Amino acid sequence: MNQNPQLRIVLAKVGLDGHDRGVKIITRGLRDAGFHVIYPGLWQSPEAVVRTVADEDADWLGISLLSGTHLTLVPRIMELLKQAGLAHVGVLVGGIIPEADIPKLAALGVARVFGPGTPLPDIVDFLRSQGSRTHA
Amino acid sequence: MLDDLLQRLRSKDRLALARVLTLISRDEQLAEIRKAVGPKPDATPVIALTGNAGVGKSTLVGKLAEHLRAQHKTVAVLACDPESPLTGGALLGDRVRMPSRPDDDGLYIRSLAAASGHQAVAEHVDLMIRVLSAFGFDVILLETVGAGQGDTAVRSLADVVVVLLQPESGDELQWEKAGLLEIADVVVIHKSDLPGAERLQSQVRELLSLPGCRQIAVLPVSSKKNEGFVELWQAIVAAPRRDGPLEPAAQFLLRRAQQVLADRLLDRAGNVGPVVDRWKRHELDEEQAADELLHRLIE
Repeated sequence: MNQNPQLRIVLAKVGLDGHDRGVKIITRGLRDAGFHVIYPGLWQSPEAVVRTVADEDADWLGISLLSGTHLTLVPRIMELLKQAGLAHVGVLVGGIIPEADIPKLAALGVARVFGPGTPLPDIVDFLRSQGSRTHA
Repeated sequence: MLDDLLQRLRSKDRLALARVLTLISRDEQLAEIRKAVGPKPDATPVIALTGNAGVGKSTLVGKLAEHLRAQHKTVAVLACDPESPLTGGALLGDRVRMPSRPDDDGLYIRSLAAASGHQAVAEHVDLMIRVLSAFGFDVILLETVGAGQGDTAVRSLADVVVVLLQPESGDELQWEKAGLLEIADVVVIHKSDLPGAERLQSQVRELLSLPGCRQIAVLPVSSKKNEGFVELWQAIVAAPRRDGPLEPAAQFLLRRAQQVLADRLLDRAGNVGPVVDRWKRHELDEEQAADELLHRLIE
């Protein structure tokens, strides 16, 4: 029996947002912290992201948005996750999110929003403190 | 809870499939899952695709999967990427090169981390293959981490091994080196739109047509131009099955027996200390020590 299974996290760029420098840094940071990071690439639709989360049996979904579309795309993804029976999956949002919108995302069920300049260890510590969402 | 999960698996619940594969990858409940799914039917072909990093394995797997979907065959992909031996972390990025078909239930893609130094594929892939074929997929595509040592494991897991080569990646002496080409049932000259592809193709053909070699198809494929996939699938289907001295089912059971034996021996490893000590003191050579260990473990 594996005592300390690696957490699986899907990191996604959704919609028309080609800025992937940030998400790639997070990808590398989480990999080096011992996570299994699944990165499906740019320009994912909400439907494609949810299918990836389902098929990969991910514990977490991290959505990177720098296009200002978070209040359109995040609600859509949260709704699709619920419909797909994936309400247990933890959702993080990263990128350019105005302070005022953070409570709105939290109200949708987003576990945390990490803005620019967040030290990587903060994200790692947060995920570790939450543990596995699927195999608690 | 596991019973419930396996019941859902039997009724083709995709989330249950994903969770069972997670359990397998985490080394959990293996015996129960094995019992529940039974042996892999011979009718489900498993195609392994291997080759050096950057040769285009993920891209080709993705294109081949789309080609098969167009023929209404359902496809499961197991895509392996390496896991860090230091941190246990992994970047599983094969999906970037694969088709995104969120509404298509006939395509399942799963990324797997392969422990380093182990094999070119993740652990327990054999059981994952059984689960996927029991789930009803028509074809299983297995993408390896890369090529090199350990790929013999792929040979025993897959019905057909496709080795990918690309132009400008070494002279013909590279292919003479043992390992890569020996495991091939089909050789793909990938990125055949690049200069040098024809030359490479004729070099490899020449190499493989020496007296005594098995008949192996050598095919140009360009994922960029979407060319060669009809011929590739035909070659895969036509590749002779390499049965060897034992039929596949017997080989499979023997391998299983080896695993069971190894596990049982490990369980009893408590009373081997004296032998190890004598070996350390050079009272026994390696051969004798191993022999002694075996005797103690079996008693």
